[in-house]
Amino acid sequence: MNPPGWLVDRLPEWARSIRFRYTLLYSAVLFGLAAIVVAALYLVLLMALRGEPVSAGTRGKVCDLRQDPPRCFALDIFSARELERNVNAQTLTKLRNYSFGSLGVLFVASLGVGWVVAGRVLRPIGSITAVARDIQATDLSRRIELPGPDDELKQLADTFDAMLARLDAAFDAQRQFTADASHELRNPLAIIRTNVDVALADPRADPDDLRQALVVVKRAGDRMARLVDDLLALARRQEPTLEHEQVDLGVAVTDASDDFVVPAAARNIVLDRAIGPGVVVIGDRDALKRAVANLLENAVRLAPAGSRIRLATGSEGDRAWIAVADEGPGISPEDQPHVFDRFWRADKARSRADGGTGLGLAIVRQIAESHGGHIRLQSKVGVGSSFVIWLPATAPGTQADIPTRPPPAPPPPPGPPPASAPAPGLRSPRRRNRPTALISP
Amino acid sequence: MRVLVVEDEADLADAIARGLRREGYAVDVAYDGDEAVDKASVNDYDVVCLDLNLPRLDGIEVVRRIRADDVGQPTRVLMLTARDSTRDRITGLDEGADDYLVKPFDFEELKARVRALLRRDAGRSGAVLRVGDIELDSSRHDARRDGHQLPLTPKEFALLRYFMSRPGQVLSQEDLLEHVWDENADPFTNTVRVTVMTLRRKLAEVGDSQPIETVVGRGYRLREQP
Repeated sequence: MNPPGWLVDRLPEWARSIRFRYTLLYSAVLFGLAAIVVAALYLVLLMALRGEPVSAGTRGKVCDLRQDPPRCFALDIFSARELERNVNAQTLTKLRNYSFGSLGVLFVASLGVGWVVAGRVLRPIGSITAVARDIQATDLSRRIELPGPDDELKQLADTFDAMLARLDAAFDAQRQFTADASHELRNPLAIIRTNVDVALADPRADPDDLRQALVVVKRAGDRMARLVDDLLALARRQEPTLEHEQVDLGVAVTDASDDFVVPAAARNIVLDRAIGPGVVVIGDRDALKRAVANLLENAVRLAPAGSRIRLATGSEGDRAWIAVADEGPGISPEDQPHVFDRFWRADKARSRADGGTGLGLAIVRQIAESHGGHIRLQSKVGVGSSFVIWLPATAPGTQADIPTRPPPAPPPPPGPPPASAPAPGLRSPRRRNRPTALISP
Repeated sequence: MRVLVVEDEADLADAIARGLRREGYAVDVAYDGDEAVDKASVNDYDVVCLDLNLPRLDGIEVVRRIRADDVGQPTRVLMLTARDSTRDRITGLDEGADDYLVKPFDFEELKARVRALLRRDAGRSGAVLRVGDIELDSSRHDARRDGHQLPLTPKEFALLRYFMSRPGQVLSQEDLLEHVWDENADPFTNTVRVTVMTLRRKLAEVGDSQPIETVVGRGYRLREQP
């Protein structure tokens, strides 16, 4: 029942409620139906009985002829038919009167019943409203938890509860993110402030002391800049990817890795690249380049001098992959579930000193997921780690042959064969001829 | 007064240590929880400035272990934390920290809080210590006898402060080495004896009596009444 807006707006406050309108509708429909039924019955009876009132019968006399003089009575004389008509007419009149009466009673009763029933049906909505209003004022941890049978209103309340739970989780994540971010920013800030305070408070500080303080301040400032950069990247990537362009994965990965050739060489690390051509994904070119750069940055930072880093791309069926494998220190099984968490560091002190923000891998994961893909890790302490980013490819199967011509393969990441096997491009020679085993997409 | 700075950010730890040393404290630095517990078990620190978020051994655990080791004079723990949520502070204080400071802090405030923690043991409420006719103001780094300023080096100042926080007590050379010198001091040199000597000379120059007396075979004592 949706009356026009202008009509509802003109109604007084009490008459605008659903309860009132529902009662009115209920009552009107009931009254209308009853009236139709009664009218139909009356008409049917009217036609069947044809009861017309008898205005006058034949006047006559009835005399007792046995008496003398005969006693006579004047009488209205009706035929049996006329009598029947008369009775019918009276019945119809009574029927009409009673019907009108009961219709009136029915109307009043239906108003009452409608009001009560509408109240009962709408009561849960009232409690939903009350809780929702309360939540606005207090916090998101409250739930409606509507009791009763699993009906439409309970489903509504449950849906509302589920929405609240999602919102609560999202706000929690946001709060946690802010807390983590401020925590990470406070440390370099403390370094800057304390060094400046201590240097300024020393009236006998010589230029060397001051220079030393400035070097420390610059280092902390650089760290903050990197941190802010990464935090912004992470916050921006929390929205689904907005850039939708066709990205040639090979070109993007080559671009990203070019920056690491010199730093790797400086540490006497060989960067092997096996970039499969023609793999195209839909997404954000800069983000994908950043993901590759983050993985390579970690690898170059952690790998021992004289070791080898392998970078490969390709596709398998309708999925494209980018793999980075190093011969670095590896990640212990207990740590592996945490490496993609924000601000997680295997060795805090060392990683900070090296300039790590603790956000690199979190960003990589977010980039992979915002492209509808995911990232897999396989690592063994003392042997190395390999990271594989899987992405949906646009041209299915175009480069399915790439994995059959892998680059010089690293020693197989050993350990118990988990659900995941090494990246296709990084398989060991031993596995080269087997059916392609993938880190499960 | 001996202070241990526990902080995994080397740049911060070193700056705090430098600043506190200039105040005349003997300062050691530990860069992780294990190192902190090791040092605290070997040396008797008066104050520990402790970062809560440490690699290897969490700050809270460090407080617990330091507290378990406490014999005699309790070590005062000032926790430094980058987390400013009330819950973190409550946890820290409940686990035995005496005070907290949220990063980034004003270094003057850190100094004031360290002084306040040291005063708790001395049982005094002001920043100025007074014993007989000697007056020592830690916050202004100013020591006077009978109104005359004493030209003390930081080490002498720290030594006098330690004497004044324990007036009337006999303090052995080991006590003084432990609380006034840091771990880099060589226990086999006569640095304590030499510093006590110069301090006594400077005190005698402006007064008519010698407030620090030698207790033969046991150490030194600052007389409460001149």
